[in-house]
Parts: sequence; structure tokens; C-alpha cells
Amino acid sequence: MAERSDVEILEDLLALENRLISAYEAALRRDAIDVALGETLRDHEQEHARALEQALRHAGRRSPRASVPTPELTAALRSRASFARYALELEAEALAAYTEAAAAIRNSRLRQPLGSIMACEAAHRIALREAVGERTLVD
Amino acid sequence: MAPFLTRREALGGAAAALVLASCGGGDPPPDTGPRPGSGAALLGSLLALEHAVAAAYATCEEVLTGDALRNTRAIAAQEREHVTRLQDLIRDLGGDPPAGRSAAEYARTFPRLREPGDALAFAEDLEQRQVRAYLEALTELPDLGLRSAAAEIGAQEGAQLAAVRVLLGLPAAQGPFVTGAL
Repeated sequence: MAERSDVEILEDLLALENRLISAYEAALRRDAIDVALGETLRDHEQEHARALEQALRHAGRRSPRASVPTPELTAALRSRASFARYALELEAEALAAYTEAAAAIRNSRLRQPLGSIMACEAAHRIALREAVGERTLVD
Repeated sequence: MAPFLTRREALGGAAAALVLASCGGGDPPPDTGPRPGSGAALLGSLLALEHAVAAAYATCEEVLTGDALRNTRAIAAQEREHVTRLQDLIRDLGGDPPAGRSAAEYARTFPRLREPGDALAFAEDLEQRQVRAYLEALTELPDLGLRSAAAEIGAQEGAQLAAVRVLLGLPAAQGPFVTGAL
């Protein structure tokens, strides 16, 4: 697989953040997540998206990609338990993407900030695990 | 400032600074081994911190029970895995991984932990410092493979920090950027 440019890495992360924002907004509208938790997670993702957009502006960005609700999200919104499982998977995807990006991005000044978002996404997974009643929060 | 915060700062920040001071960072570099700039020295510093933190968790466990004990044991097990991984990485670079100090040596630098809140406050500060150390390493490590390892361990440290915060009754994430911002 060809190596991605820094702009492509940032765009992929932004697309993922937009999916997370859409998911939490939908869950809040449908009462599929605790309001305080859902608002906190959504707000964090919005801050991440803003930061990525700012980094992209500096790097010379392409047009933003549209994000549409997936069938999986629609199905997950039926209950808080099913949305929590969906969100845990999406946050795991985000965590993996940031872990890879923080190491691979060529601009070394972006590695630490991407790592700080990575740590935040890891914390989101812990918050969701607590919300579903898991008593052992780390594997 | 509330007494609780003062106490937490005393037990967390100052004590964690002592742990850092005791983890061997001031030892002279070896005369032989990996080439300068390989990243081995930085990995050695991370390893020394992991040794100290693993010892700190053993001390924390003495005053914890229930969910807090279950979770800190799981975290301590991950820290031991980090130790093994860092040792392997340093050996792969031709280096000699620094050994940890004795439990008694570490114990002399730890605060007296009287209750679970003391132990968790201490653990939170240690995890903060570990997250910061791995994120800083991302900037400095020269090789993609080493940075990937640091990122993976850093992600686990982020989860550990969040878990400790939950056990303290705090939000898992303290903000959108755990240390710093874009």
C-alpha cells in the first residue's frame, strides 16, 4: 500500500471525527446515550475536528468529505446498550487511527498533539465501558 | 485551595517527582552499545520510569480493595508488559536495558499511602507523567517502528489514566487534548 501523505492522514482522521460527531449527535437526539456523557464526548470530538481542520488549512487541504449515517448507526440507535457497543467500536477505530497517525505523520510537530487526541479517544473508551457497567476498565 | 487538592498535590505531584528522580535518569550512559541517536537512550528512560511505576502500583495495591484493586492489578500487569516490550526494543538496538531498582529502594521514595484516595491520586499523577513521556517520545524517536511502539504503549497509558480517574470519581477524560493541543 502506498504511504499516505500528511494531508491524507489528517483528512482520514477528520472523516473519522465527523462520523463520531454524527453518531453522538444522533444518539443524543434519540436518547440513546446519557446526556452528560454524550455531550462531553461530542464536544471533545468537535474540538478534535476543529484542530484537524486548522492543521489541514496549514498543510493545504482538499475539499472536506461528506459523512452520511451508516446502516450500523441506525440500528445501534435502538437502545442505549446497542449504541454503547457501536460507540465502543467506533472509538476503537479512532484510537487505532490516531495511534498509527501519531507515529507515521512526517511533520514531527504534529505527532505529540495527535498523540494527545489518541489518549483522549482511549479515555472515551473507558468512559463508555464504565457507562455499560464494566467493572474492569482496562484489558 | 481545598484541603483535598493540597493533599492530592502533595501525594501526587511531589511524590511522582520523587519517583522520577529515583528511576535512574541521572545514571551515566554506557560506553558501548547502540549508536547515538538510535533512540535507545530515550527508550531506556521510558523503561526506568516503567520500572518505578510498576513498583509504585505494588505499593498502591496494599491499601486498595474491590474494583480499585482489580483495576490497578490489571494496570500493573500492563505496565509489566511495557517493561518487557521496551527491554526487547532496546536489545534490538544493541543496547543493554537498565535494570530496575529494588523494591526497598523504590519504597523509600514513595509517599505514605494511608487510604485508597491517596493511592489513586498518586497513580493518577504517575499516569499523567507516563502519557506525557510517551507523547514526547513520539517527537524524538527517529524510527517509525519505535514511534509506533511508543504510540501503542502511550495509548494504553491514556486508557490507564482514564481508568484511574474514573476510580477517583472524576471524568475519564479531563479534556479533548490530554496533554497539549494542535
